[in-house]
Formats: sequence, C-alpha cells, structure tokens
Amino acid sequence: MSETEPKILSFLCSWCSYGAADLAGVSRMEYPPNIRVIRIPCTGRMSPKFILAGLRQGADAVWVSG
Amino acid sequence: MDKCIACGVCAEKCPKKVDDPYNAGLAKRKAAYVEYAQAVPLKYSIDADNCIYLQKGKCGVCKKKCPVDAVDFDQTEKQLKLNVGSVILAPGFEAFNPNGLDNYQYASYPNVVTSVEFERLLSASGPTMGHVVRPSDKEEPKRIAWFQCVGSRDLNKCDNAYCSSVCCMYAIKEAVIAKEHAGDDLECSIFFMDMRTPGKEFERFYENAKKKSGVNFIRSRVHTINPVGDSGDLELRYVTESGELKTEVYDMVVLSVGLQTPPALVDLAGKLDIDLTPGKFCKTDTFTPVSTSREGIFVCGAFQGPKDIPQSVIDSSAAASAAAEVLSEARNTKTREVEIVPERNVAGERPKIGVFVCKCGINIAGVVDVPAVAEYAASLPYVDFVDENLFSCSQDNQDNMAKLIKEKGLNRIVVAACTPKTHEPLFQETLFNAGLNKYLFEMTNIRNQNSWVHKNSPELATQKAKDLVRMAVAKVALMEPLNEVKLTMNHTAMVIGGGISGLTAAKSLASQGFETHLIEREAGLGGQALSIFHTAKGDDVQQNLSKIIDSVTSDEKITVHLNTEITGVEGFVGNFVTTLSTDGKTEELEHGVAIVATGAAPLTPTEYSYGKDPRIMTSLELDKKMISDDPMLSQANSAVFIQCVGSREPERQYCSRVCCTHSIENALELKKLNPEMNVYILYRDIRTYGEKEYLYKQAREQGVIFIRYSIDNKPVVDVKDGNVTVTATDHVLGRPMELNADLVSLATAIIPYGDEKLANFFKVPMNEDGFFIEKHAKLGPTEFSTDGTFLCGMAHYPKPIDESIAQAKAASSRAVTLLSKTSIYSSGAIAEVETAKCSACGVCVSVCPYSAPSFTTEGRFAGKAEINPALCKGCGLCVASCRSGAIHLKGFDTDQIFSQIFELEEAI
Repeated sequence: MSETEPKILSFLCSWCSYGAADLAGVSRMEYPPNIRVIRIPCTGRMSPKFILAGLRQGADAVWVSG
Repeated sequence: MDKCIACGVCAEKCPKKVDDPYNAGLAKRKAAYVEYAQAVPLKYSIDADNCIYLQKGKCGVCKKKCPVDAVDFDQTEKQLKLNVGSVILAPGFEAFNPNGLDNYQYASYPNVVTSVEFERLLSASGPTMGHVVRPSDKEEPKRIAWFQCVGSRDLNKCDNAYCSSVCCMYAIKEAVIAKEHAGDDLECSIFFMDMRTPGKEFERFYENAKKKSGVNFIRSRVHTINPVGDSGDLELRYVTESGELKTEVYDMVVLSVGLQTPPALVDLAGKLDIDLTPGKFCKTDTFTPVSTSREGIFVCGAFQGPKDIPQSVIDSSAAASAAAEVLSEARNTKTREVEIVPERNVAGERPKIGVFVCKCGINIAGVVDVPAVAEYAASLPYVDFVDENLFSCSQDNQDNMAKLIKEKGLNRIVVAACTPKTHEPLFQETLFNAGLNKYLFEMTNIRNQNSWVHKNSPELATQKAKDLVRMAVAKVALMEPLNEVKLTMNHTAMVIGGGISGLTAAKSLASQGFETHLIEREAGLGGQALSIFHTAKGDDVQQNLSKIIDSVTSDEKITVHLNTEITGVEGFVGNFVTTLSTDGKTEELEHGVAIVATGAAPLTPTEYSYGKDPRIMTSLELDKKMISDDPMLSQANSAVFIQCVGSREPERQYCSRVCCTHSIENALELKKLNPEMNVYILYRDIRTYGEKEYLYKQAREQGVIFIRYSIDNKPVVDVKDGNVTVTATDHVLGRPMELNADLVSLATAIIPYGDEKLANFFKVPMNEDGFFIEKHAKLGPTEFSTDGTFLCGMAHYPKPIDESIAQAKAASSRAVTLLSKTSIYSSGAIAEVETAKCSACGVCVSVCPYSAPSFTTEGRFAGKAEINPALCKGCGLCVASCRSGAIHLKGFDTDQIFSQIFELEEAI
C-alpha cells in the first residue's frame, strides 16, 4: 500500500454502508485503494476493542459506518 | 436475462447516448443500460427505441463485447396466457407535467425545475451526487422557492381537482435536505395554500422544519415568474395574506408536481372493465378499499388514489390479503418440496479450505491479476485447494464446485468474487448441495469494492484482493457448522380489539382458514365506529358496521371474547400463551401470532366552553345526534365547527387526520337538513387529502363558510344570556367577528390508549404520543419489530375507516405469511449466551430491539440470560453490549472478526 496514503480499516454495516460501497462499484465511482473493509451484520456489533485492535495493527484510521 | 452478470460492458461500449429518464433527463445514459444502480435484479437491458442496431440494423457492439453472450436482438414481445384466481393492480402513477402552465414557464426557464428533478439533484446517486446546483450555470443556489399544488387542487390550469396527498411532505423534506446539504446560507421558502401534513410524525417534521431548520412557509399562490435579465434568477410576484403585493428574486424554483393516472392506465381500466373515479383513480368503496368494481380484481398504491409510501405498502398487503381470501383453498397446492442433501459431519477435521477466485469475465481479471491472487491464496494456512473461475456464479461452475468440495474433502469455502449481498445465498446453496453446512463459507468482495472502483490502480487493486482473500481465509478457518432451529407454528391467531380494525383483521384471518380469537375489553363489538354517522363517501356506517359484526359473530372460526382483559403474555412467534381474564375468570389461550388493534378515543375538550352548554359538543356527539335524527339539528339556524381541538398543539404535536374531512361531511349533512343554515368551519389548514378534496369544494359551493385561525389567535366560545357566541378573527379583513351559534361542533383530537401493560406484554414500543411504533415507518407499517406481532387501525395512528380496514387486512396478510407455514426456521447466524460467563446484569435484555434475550426462569441457570433463536436477528448489539463477554454471535464472533483484523498487519 502506498506510503503517502493513510491506511484505513473500515467496518461497514451489511444492510446499508456495505450496500452503498457495492453501489459505488456499480456506478463505477473511483476511490483510492488504501481501504480494507470488514463486513459486520450491524454497527450494533461494533466493539471498541475492534477499533483499538485495528489501530494497533497499524491502521491510521478506523471508519465505522452504518 | 439469466445470462447477464451485470458487468456493464454493454453500457460502457454502447455508442448511443440518450437522456436518462431515471434522472429526470438531467443526465445521460446509454441505449444499453441498467435502469438505476440499485435495480433488483441487477440486469442490463436495451432501450429498443434508441438502440442503433434495432433502429438501423447496424452496430451490435454490445453483442460483440458481452462476455457471456447475453445480448439477444431477436427477442420479441410475447403473449402469455396465465390462469389465475385473483388479479392485483399496482401500476402506479405519473408525475404531472407542468409544460402547459404558461405562468410558471417550466419549459423556458432552466432554473424552474420539477420536484422530481430536484429529488435527483439531492440524491447521492443523482447527476450531481447530491450537490445542489441550479441547471443554468451549475452555481449553488442561495434562495430556492417551492410552489405547492402544481397539477393538484386546480381546475383553472389543469383538470386535477384532487389533492395529491404527498407534495406538502416531500417539499418540506426537500427543503430540509437541501439546507442540510448546502448549509445555513441557503434560504428555502415554500409557497402553499394549506399545509397538509396529516401522516404519522409528519406534523412534528413540519414544526421542526420551521423552527429548527429555518424553512420559510408562505401562504400564497405565486401568480407570475419573470426572468431577471440573463442572470438565470427569477422574480416572483405574489400577494401576501394581508393583501400586499410582493416581488422577490429567487435563484431557483421547484414546482411540487402532483400525481396523476397516465392515459395508458385509463385504457387498461377500460380493457379490464373497472370503474374509475372523477380523478381517474381506481374506484373502490370505503368498506372494501382494495377491491375494484370487478370481482376478483384488486388494487393498491397510487392507482387507488394519490398516496404516500406507508399507505401504498399497507394497501399492497391488504390487496394480497383480499386476493388470498378468495383463494385460500388453493393455498400450497402447487408447492414442491426441496430435496434435502444429508450434511457431512466435519467435527474434528482440521480446516481444509477451498478458495475460488472469480474473474467475472474481464470485470475482475481486467484490473486484478487473478492468477497472482490465486497463487497467493494457495500459500495461505489451511488452504488445500484453489481454483480460478471465469464466472464463479455460472451454473456449470456451481456443479463443478459441488463436485470439487466432495472430491477434495473441503470443509471450508472462500469465494472471492462480487458481493455477498447478491451472491452469498447462491454459493451457500452450492455448499448445501455438496453436503456441507452452508455457514462454513465466507465471501470476499473483489469486484464491486475493488476492481470496479480501482480500475486505474491494478497493482494496488491486486494487493487489496490478496489482503481481502487472506482476511477471509483467516475468518473461514474459525467458522463452525451452524444449526437453523426448527420451531413449531401454532395456527391460531389472536386479535386484540373489537373495533372496525380488529373485526376486519379477524374476519380476514378466518376467511383464509385460520382459527381466530377476538379479544374486546368492552361488552360489545364495534368500537368508535358505533358513534359515526356517515363516511366521507356518504356510506351509512351503522349499517355497514352491523354487517361486519354479524359476519364475525357468525363465523365458526372466530371466537369472540367480550369483557375480556389480557393479564399476561408468555412465549414468542408461533408459540404464544396469553392469559385472558373474562369477568374474573381466567383462561389460557395458545396462539401463533397476535394483532394489536386496540384503537384510540376522542379527547374530552377542556377549552371552547365545552360542558357549559348542551349546544357545544364534540364531533362524535354531533354524529350521535345525526344517528338519532335529533330535531335540534334541523332547527338550528347556525352551526360553527372548530377544528384542531387538542390536535397540532405543543403537547400533542400531531394532526388527527380525519377531522377536516369529517367536519366538512357533517357541515354538508347540516346543509342538507336545512339549506338556509349558516355553517362556519374555523380551521388552521384544511387537510382533505386525496379525492376528499372534492368534499371541500362541494362545501364551499354550497355556502359553507371557511374561516382560518392561527394557533396564537384561537376562536373564543362564550355562553352569555342563554346564547352561544363564537368570536374569531376574519383572516381577510383582520377584524374580530362574532358568530351566534345554535350548535358548536368541536373536532377533538384522537387520543391513543397508551396501553403500557400491553406494550410490555408483547415487548413492543410506543411513541411519545402513545401510538404504537411499527417496525419501519415506510416499509413495515403493519408489523412490530418483534416477530409474530402486528398492528393496525388507530393504535398505529388516527385514520379514517377505509384506511383502518386496509391496514387490518394488511396485518392479516402479514400474519398469514407465518400462519401458513407448518414450522419456521431461525437463522444460524444468531447470538448465544455462554451461561457460565453471564453475570445476569440484564443489559442484553434491555438493548435488544427484537426482544430476543430474556432471563431463564428455572433450572440451574435461573436468572441468567438466554436468547430465543426464533427472535434473534443476529445484529450483535447484545454481543457488543455484554460486559462479561458472555454472548457469542455465530458467524460474526469476536475471534472471527479479530482474525480478520489481525490479518491486516501484512496489508498495512
């Protein structure tokens, strides 16, 4: 992954944001490839531990969307 | 269509650009196109009117480029003959075209747009990605004006005399969203005649738009728009309420266009031999609101009358119910059983992971180096087998995959392809056919969220695909076979409330073959309808009500429990046990579903001198006098109706929806009794939505006088020297006027029972006004979030009889989706309590929106939490909230998500 780009870990709700990310694909929008998505069943599933673990693994940012 | 994989190559290569109707012509699309990005099924099609090949016989580039040979130019219109028992019409509406209105110059001024166009400008998937700009110069507007009733309530400029019902709300919504997008610099003004927000939570939205969002509401109809030089700006001239002529300049004007039935539908109605209303909507009756004039043909949605989404959804379920009632004998006569493949026991085996990497033609392989990803996958722990597929989803590949799973003894599968949102069920079925538990599967998205969005960074996209595969492999190694719990379904239904809604729901369930118990707290059936004289369409309510009551009491499938209270509810969907108390005697009722139809009651007014004189009465008291043909009515020389008594007040911020129509209907009845009578209606906004508008027009024509008042200048009712006087301010002259009244009718608010006991029994929520909260305001208006429980009628929100009946039928329809099953299966991906770790704190019980967790009542783990698999939706809220780490979410368990996070390291 590029050194100059922030590294982003994202947790996307399967019902909305994950679907929106699919839609961005269908619409052929472009965005930088420095993001890794973990699909979760609902943002209700999010635990602060996941965010901390992501940061400890070296992510510059963690994005939770749902 | 079966072959299309929605790769979009046809659209990309198609040389023909045309206006995109989905974006209201504000953007272009190709002649090979998908109607919109969210289309289900996601399949491309060819617009024959614009296709160069189909029009001129040359081109065919889409056919050449299609990787799966899905383009077939030889398809022609086919006539099919279907043998059916019922027909449901749901053909919708068209937006009014304002081209012909010379005063608004929609065709000439680019910055005059319709609300449909503005909707697309606001949308993230629209031509400007939600950035609001005006069409002439793509500049951000600073002042936008909305004009209401364009193509509605108008016989001057068009023939649509009805109110389109939805435009006030959508205009407010558009103004609020526009301000959210553009910030406080944007000034939004809505020019209206009556603000009609009679839906659930709508009044509060309107008040918030005024007070919190700062949207301006101007009661006036703008008569002229003039362009301001070449600037693109528009000068509006209108008369204010006080009669002052004003001229203001706006950057953009949005015409709130109404709904109408397109000519093709009028033709269809002719072919089907069904009657239409004067507004060209499908004619229905109050007591059969989804039945057309022809037996066996039903209708729902805006073809039945202009209406919004919740009402359309209610109607659609109601139409399904009405269609099913006549077909109940044929239910399940054409179903086939699925062949069950025995499941292989994989317990104790080490993970043997198979990874299938899809090329999706060139959709993935054109960007991502698929062989490199496959090679990388083979190097990952526990991966025993890797395959590259041209199209993983093709039928031959499914068969091949099932064969490979068996041959290689694979026990975990990863598919790296498009999106699990559309394709996970397909691959899970393949696992099932190969005798593998379908939860031993993980899909990772290297198309929609990778190759399609990173087409200019193939190396980084390849790296991302490798990372995603590694994360998926790590997770799938920890997946375990999951069971879908089978639950029995009790086929008896319970309906709570013996008013029109409850009666209709019970009758509908019984007609579909289900034993139904109807619970009523009072000594008789009928509810509020017992006090209503006529409906808006002039039907005799008492006559129709007694017909409904007779049909219920004579139905052998319905047991009516009068004078009965509910004192306890145990259990869950398919397996409820309710304790009924009738005159002190208790009995237990086992049932599979429950419909709440507990209704609402009129407010007892505390203002307008109510109770001080018998001539001052509530609406329903007036109805009772009409039912009993009280001579005081025809003897009265003047009658005054006061609207919004207790509704639309700060402490009751909702509109009671039925009162405007009902008062006008009663005013007309009085005029019928005594045409010389002076009849006044004091109102804040007249809300005769839909074709109820004709009544308003008729009342004005017959001399009923409408006087508007505002909430800070309410009318005053006095009883002096034996006379009742009403003082109001004339809104045209601005002067107080005194009316002598022989009869004052107060349109009192409709108050829900706010039955907290019942809400607790069924674990269903109520809003701050005391109405029950449905699962989803738009898409789940007749069911609760808790499975197996439904609602209808005024317990949901005030509504007239036709809407109550539609919702009652809808509730029955939703209930039958469960009742018609012999058993129900839970999902496997649900939460489970590890009892030893549970500290019995109860957080899970209180946070769950579906009432799935509860405390174990007996046995060694009494007091600890347990989760009902039938109710759990697998959202994981309890898992994240559990302070003891005692709850596991199968399929998304903590270690499984951590395994994905830990595999990031190499990625980052």
